[in-house]
Amino acid sequence: MIKRLSLASRLALLFAACTAVVSLIAGVLFNRASEAHFIELDQQLLDSKLVALRSALQGVDSREAFALRGPQLRAELDHQPDFTLRITAADQRWVDGAPYLSVPAAPGLHSLQNAGTDYRVYNAPLTPGQPGSPRLSLILDITHHQHFLERMQRLIWLTVGLSALATALLGAWAARSGLRPLRRMGEVAASVSAHSLTQRLPQAQMPVELAELAQAFNAMLGRLDDAFQRLSAFSADIAHELRTPLSNLLTQTQVILTQPRPLEDYREALHSNLEELQWMAQLVNDMLYLAKADHGLLMPNREALNLGDEVDALLEFFTLLAEDAQVTLVREGTAHTLGDRGMLRRALSNLLDNALRFTPPGGEIRVRMEEGVTLAVENTGDGIPARLLPRLFDRFYRADPSRRAGSSEHAGLGLAITQSIVRAHGGRIFCESQAGWTRFVIELPKGD
Amino acid sequence: MKLLIVEDQPKTGHYLRQGLAEAGFTTELVADGTTGQHLALTGDYDLLILDVMLPGRDGWQILQAVRSAGLDMPVLFLTARDAVEDRVHGLELGADDYLVKPFAFSELLARVRTLLRRGSSTPQETTLQLADLSLDLIRRRVERDGQRIDLTAKEFALLELLLRRQGEVLPKTLIASQVWDMNFDSDTNIIEVAIRRLRLKVDDNFPNKLIHTVRGMGYVLEERFT
Repeated sequence: MIKRLSLASRLALLFAACTAVVSLIAGVLFNRASEAHFIELDQQLLDSKLVALRSALQGVDSREAFALRGPQLRAELDHQPDFTLRITAADQRWVDGAPYLSVPAAPGLHSLQNAGTDYRVYNAPLTPGQPGSPRLSLILDITHHQHFLERMQRLIWLTVGLSALATALLGAWAARSGLRPLRRMGEVAASVSAHSLTQRLPQAQMPVELAELAQAFNAMLGRLDDAFQRLSAFSADIAHELRTPLSNLLTQTQVILTQPRPLEDYREALHSNLEELQWMAQLVNDMLYLAKADHGLLMPNREALNLGDEVDALLEFFTLLAEDAQVTLVREGTAHTLGDRGMLRRALSNLLDNALRFTPPGGEIRVRMEEGVTLAVENTGDGIPARLLPRLFDRFYRADPSRRAGSSEHAGLGLAITQSIVRAHGGRIFCESQAGWTRFVIELPKGD
Repeated sequence: MKLLIVEDQPKTGHYLRQGLAEAGFTTELVADGTTGQHLALTGDYDLLILDVMLPGRDGWQILQAVRSAGLDMPVLFLTARDAVEDRVHGLELGADDYLVKPFAFSELLARVRTLLRRGSSTPQETTLQLADLSLDLIRRRVERDGQRIDLTAKEFALLELLLRRQGEVLPKTLIASQVWDMNFDSDTNIIEVAIRRLRLKVDDNFPNKLIHTVRGMGYVLEERFT
């Protein structure tokens, strides 16, 4: 339940709680200060009274002596209805005044309550420094102070409540308007669909706190857009790649069947169809392989491999083609790794095949290996323009667009497959090129 | 050699049977798993070709029934999916080989022959021969019409394969796999070049050609009388 609370409500509640705590502390402090102030005032008042009383009662040390001075004193005290005096003999044998109160015996200032009335009592000896002197208790009715303090307390509680409520409301409003950029972000996110991946958050207008998030969000949209573009281009490419051989098959078969022909013609047509069909089967198999890789189903064995031996075997395999193309094959260094022999051979074979097709006669293909593990296939020839490098591993991508689908031509999936295999091994592959040479570099995790 | 094909796709089944029959096998075709299993258990076949997805009982179940009945004829699976689990599952149950659709018929034929050969122990030959061509496995010498022919190691291996399986059309993938140990569909022309080189040495100087290209399928070594 708490977790589902909106950010705005959460902030509003927090604001309210903060205000409540702050005003409560302020109120309590004020209350304490007032109370201390009242005590101080009472003390002053009682001090001045004590001085007057001491001089008025000087020398009184017995009930009889007090009875002589008492009435006059009482008359004076009657003018002050909130003030009462009690005098107690040192030996407690007699007491006079305020019989309804039980007064503590200790000297100094006390507060006490009786029958709904609050009193401040100040005890002091009549004659300071003289043992046996009667004790004076000056009793001050402080009910009005207490009333004031109680009113204050009520006021404090009211303030706490009202200010909490007010800040909750104001806070809700403030949070709502403060969070507006977030809502806008949500709206953009909601409006993103397969059709509008181009939409972006206005990063410059975002508050600092959200700019980073907006940037991350935009970057994610960018990647999504890119992946989506590739995917839709991929589907379009599949259709396109299949269209050429399919239309060849259709046309040829229909033309052949329009009239009776010599047997040899039928045979020729079937052979030609077979070539198209084999090309299509190869394409489908390659695409299935890639689909498998995409689903993480490419699970390489991890056997210890001497890549030097593997490369030698591949170079031997490719020797014949290289000789025909007048290209020299060279291996340099060696490396060891854990991997799937079949898959890695396939990956390297694609690279070599690719290199052979782009190396001019008299050129050289060099396979360089280093422990650690890097493997580079480098060929001489026209370099690949830098802007094309990131796209080389895209499916169906051909650096030279004129090389379209033909029956014996490559479908343009070789490098994509190589990349999938390298990735399945936890490695990476990239291409570097300058005028005069091109190099594909595979980095594989070290085989321990 | 008697083969049983259990395949529910009528067209595929029909052409498989026709192709295998023309290759010299006695074949029987059924389209559902229940009949397929019954025949497999009672029909005394030399090899089973099973589709995985079948009505009635699927290919795995038939295989299980066959193996638990103690029959050990080779079983070749045809599957539309190349999922790793499928492969592992099949091998655990005792399948001998599998082909993923789409596959080339020449590939299927080559696999069938390989599987059938696996069981029978061929006597250790020291010399392979066809017409006036002979290959001495021990001295690693090749002669044709009494003339010595010098071959590289790979050319020798290629000729040995062609001679051992003379009369069979060998697809390029099988040649790449057997001679170079390259077990993937490589669409390079390497095998073409290798065959061309071998022809240059073995066939070109002789009127009677032995290495033949079967267009779209592969290569075959045989004596043809025109």
